[in-house]
Amino acid sequence: MADKKLVMLVDTKRCIGCNSCAVACKIENNLPKNIWWNRIMTVGGDNLDSPEGEYPNLKMHNITVACQHCENPACVKVCPVGATYKDPETGVVRQDYDKCIGCRMCMSACPYTGVRNFNWEEPAYHLDFAVGDADVAPHEKHTVEKCTFCWHRLAKGLQPACVEVCSARARHFGDANDPDSAVSAILRTRSHEQLLPDEGTDPNVYFLV
Amino acid sequence: MSDTTAAVAAKAPAKKGGAGLNIAIGASAVVTAIGIALWAVQMSGGMVQTAMRNLDSWGLYITSFMFFVGLSAGGLIISSVPKAFGLKGFGGISKVAVMTSIAATVAAIGLVVVDMGQPFRVWELFVYSNLGSPLMWDIIVLMVYLILSCVYLWAQIAAEKGKVSHAALRVISVVALVCAVTVHSVTAWIFGLQQSHEMWHTALLAPWFVSSALVCGTGLVICAAVALRAAGYLTWEQADLVKLAKLLAVFLLVDLYFFGCDLLTEGFPAASGAEIVAMLVSGPLAPFFWGEVVLSVLAVVICVVPSLRTTPMMVAAGLFAIAAIFCKRVQLLVGGFQVPNLDYPAAMTPFTVTDWQGNMATAYQGLVYWPTPLEFGIALGVVALGFLVFFLGLKLLPLKPADEQ
Repeated sequence: MADKKLVMLVDTKRCIGCNSCAVACKIENNLPKNIWWNRIMTVGGDNLDSPEGEYPNLKMHNITVACQHCENPACVKVCPVGATYKDPETGVVRQDYDKCIGCRMCMSACPYTGVRNFNWEEPAYHLDFAVGDADVAPHEKHTVEKCTFCWHRLAKGLQPACVEVCSARARHFGDANDPDSAVSAILRTRSHEQLLPDEGTDPNVYFLV
Repeated sequence: MSDTTAAVAAKAPAKKGGAGLNIAIGASAVVTAIGIALWAVQMSGGMVQTAMRNLDSWGLYITSFMFFVGLSAGGLIISSVPKAFGLKGFGGISKVAVMTSIAATVAAIGLVVVDMGQPFRVWELFVYSNLGSPLMWDIIVLMVYLILSCVYLWAQIAAEKGKVSHAALRVISVVALVCAVTVHSVTAWIFGLQQSHEMWHTALLAPWFVSSALVCGTGLVICAAVALRAAGYLTWEQADLVKLAKLLAVFLLVDLYFFGCDLLTEGFPAASGAEIVAMLVSGPLAPFFWGEVVLSVLAVVICVVPSLRTTPMMVAAGLFAIAAIFCKRVQLLVGGFQVPNLDYPAAMTPFTVTDWQGNMATAYQGLVYWPTPLEFGIALGVVALGFLVFFLGLKLLPLKPADEQ
């Protein structure tokens, strides 16, 4: 238990679906065109930001979905070369672009389809200069990538970019193995859910409901 | 009729090869070369040129991979079962049958390679092997299977020359048989061990892959052997062809039985599995579902009704069986991606899903995935490589029955 269990909490009662976290992630990690590690889903309607039901009985809420950094990750088990692996000290599910052979077995095994992104072409960018943190690993054509919990920021003692930027203060990040941490306190008092719990992957992203 | 064919073949023994074979070798080499050129296009311009995307991350290549692993079964099993159990075989087609296995295995391995984003990192599979990954198991078993098929073919040729004892040949055929069953089970586990795809996650998948492999493999051996007999390459008793056709009917019925069991188990609780059944029976995959069922039933009818068992009809049954199993592979692969776990609307980019321009509902309205011409071209190139290997085997190796050489 000496090791950390880094968790992300997303308060669905506070989230306003502003997409700031997705944009912050995109910039911080210098994500190529067409790649989003973090996506905001509208629960309810047929389209993005469309409510469920008939007027006046409408309802709408959002969930943000990125890699769930599972305790029991399906992707890690199936990677034939160990390019995706669970960091033993933090529980973060990591991806080594230089090792990835591009077989996409992890994408198929992951129940949260879409959180793993494949660079289907040579990474292209909207700007002709890199943005975000210089310590982010360069993106590689024909390899799989995904949310790293901002690994480069964790090393500097910072919070992931999406947590920092959340305008509704709906995100919390910390060590659930430390009983004195803020996330532990919240998890003790607030009811929470994991995404697709039946898959048995035991995500480290919790949605406060 | 068979006797006449056999007699003609015996009277006019074709030279090893012949012009037809040389043309076949040339044609398949050309198509293979075109496939390699197209693969270079895919690699340089990016796999964005395929229809595969993040939500449907495998496509025609992996569908065909499953299919060719299956095709490789028939030859080896038909050849090794009689030897392993000391039964009377199916005539002089044993070596040709193993050659079809080798060719199909080469094609299967080729299809994995063209699906890889970083084929130059393939060496990592042997250096950083994660032995817990079903894909790693499959790579190991496929390699062993290919080597063993070659050894088995060599042993048969050597045994005819008296250089390998029949006891040794029998041992090799038992090992080959076990390996053949393993290769299909392990290929099934690439899919069947994934809890995230309801359609794939069933314990039945491995035995079902074995039965499907037997169906299309037997179909392939029937077609190949009849073609070679017609070309005068070898003589083959009609009785052996009929025996193989009856065996095909049994395999088809077992395969259909497994299909029925699986559909009932999925559909009966009327819970989430019912969605899978609906998708197959009346949804986007219905053409492939009914295609498989109708083709299988037609093939069974041909194989069990004595008056229908003419050579052309039995070849048709073999082709129907092969096509039915291809339909099944499409159902499995596309069906696995057709039901998203998270179907909430979210921002779509050209990388999200094949048809990304509408919303989630429109992307999944028809088939979520349909290959691009480039994918068809590359897959065809790999198939041609399989044919090339087979034709080269016919030309260069003594594959005719021993008494005809």
